Amino acid sequence: MGPCVLAVSLFASAPARAQVAVLDTAHTFYHEAPTRTNMTVYTPGVDLAVTPAPWVTIRGGYEADIVSGASVSVKAGRAYQAVNPGADVISTASVNDVRHAPRGGIVLRKGDVAYTAQYTYGTEHDYKSHSIFVSAKTEAYEHDTQFELSYARNFDLVCDRTQAVNDRPPRFRALEDSKACFGTSDPLRTRHTLSIDGLQAAWTQAWTPELATQLAYTAQLIEGFQSSPYRSVILAQGLKAQEHHPENRARQSVAIRLNYYIRPIKVAVRIGARVYRDTWDITSGTGDIEVEKYLFEGFRVAARGRYYKQTGASFWSDDYTGGDPPLGPKGQYWTGDRELSPFSSIGLGLRLTYGIQPAKGRLLGLMTGLKLGAAADAIQFSYDEYTLGGVPITNARAYVLGANVSASF
Amino acid sequence: MRTNHLSLLAALLLGPALASCVTVKPQQRAVLADPIMQFEGDPQSAAQLRHAIDNREGSYGGGGVSGGGCGCN
Repeated sequence: MGPCVLAVSLFASAPARAQVAVLDTAHTFYHEAPTRTNMTVYTPGVDLAVTPAPWVTIRGGYEADIVSGASVSVKAGRAYQAVNPGADVISTASVNDVRHAPRGGIVLRKGDVAYTAQYTYGTEHDYKSHSIFVSAKTEAYEHDTQFELSYARNFDLVCDRTQAVNDRPPRFRALEDSKACFGTSDPLRTRHTLSIDGLQAAWTQAWTPELATQLAYTAQLIEGFQSSPYRSVILAQGLKAQEHHPENRARQSVAIRLNYYIRPIKVAVRIGARVYRDTWDITSGTGDIEVEKYLFEGFRVAARGRYYKQTGASFWSDDYTGGDPPLGPKGQYWTGDRELSPFSSIGLGLRLTYGIQPAKGRLLGLMTGLKLGAAADAIQFSYDEYTLGGVPITNARAYVLGANVSASF
Repeated sequence: MRTNHLSLLAALLLGPALASCVTVKPQQRAVLADPIMQFEGDPQSAAQLRHAIDNREGSYGGGGVSGGGCGCN
């Protein structure tokens, strides 16, 4: 029971013995500076979960994304650059925004079943989001088996530029900035809806005293405006149009995880694999491994690695103006989003966790437990086709630093 | 493709049934109940990394759920 108390975090489904409240705070710093662009995101967050009775937990929290950097605002490829050799056809724009996301929820328990409901509100200058999440989790076979079913629904609004009445997508112009997007009646601003339905089913199983597995299936339906309103793509000589993605997307993934404890060397090994497919013709595979060991009581160190590879969307092209395949136009949609291009990534990271669980009394006279965590990861992206005016992106390396503290009272 | 779907469905239905044949006794759960055996290692840290990666890939989400199979949380 002792170490299990530390395992109970904000999202756990049952309270530990005398624990009444858990306060979590997490801080993440992300930075990347590939060719001609850069992005820095600081994400602070805090959550409080209170369990006044064994059958109920009430929780609330807040998270922010503080974003600054420069991103591509006009995208072209090498075919266009080749016929416009003297021009710098790529342009970038500075990005500065803050996303605020307060959230609240409740967990109800009856016997081996836990029901969770949560609401999150997200707001930034050019985007608003209402998100609900519900789940049911139950245990079977002497608690060796867990099933969880969850559903999430987003009701989002995306700001965009008002287009001329008679214009069609190839003539649409990109949004210049995020001013006057909400709360005003500016005739040059409009709002598009975006709805997301997500379903997940997971089966977790303990097979032996050292081996557990998890199988998860996820499906998602997205309907609405999914382009970046700020990004334009050069479609032909002298024709620049706002990015134009399909309005519907159905996504599915299956993930399996294996967790094994190697007793002779006292090391936990986690191996995961995931396959994904969607109606935009993106197929991806992910493999990851993490090994973790106690260096001394309460102090764990983990090393992790991750490999990811995806194909491009059916309408992806690095240059819609022409050139030999895979360049050239791809029908009625176009994008300048490198996330929709074929690429792979490799990530390596290190994580430290220190948990203090006093056998008697409370830490500082207050806490029944304290957990400190820190992690550092580096991710190298390798783009197969994506270029900026024909210049390959060779230094797309991201760094992620994270720290978190969890205190139980 | 249809065969693949049927195989997946069969695995999803038969897997939990097979699980009933397996029992890890409560007194054998010391390792499974330890935080080191959580599926995400440190769920907070995993959520932080996932949040960063989700904005850089075209196929985010659906990696699994937190928690473990030990009946301890």
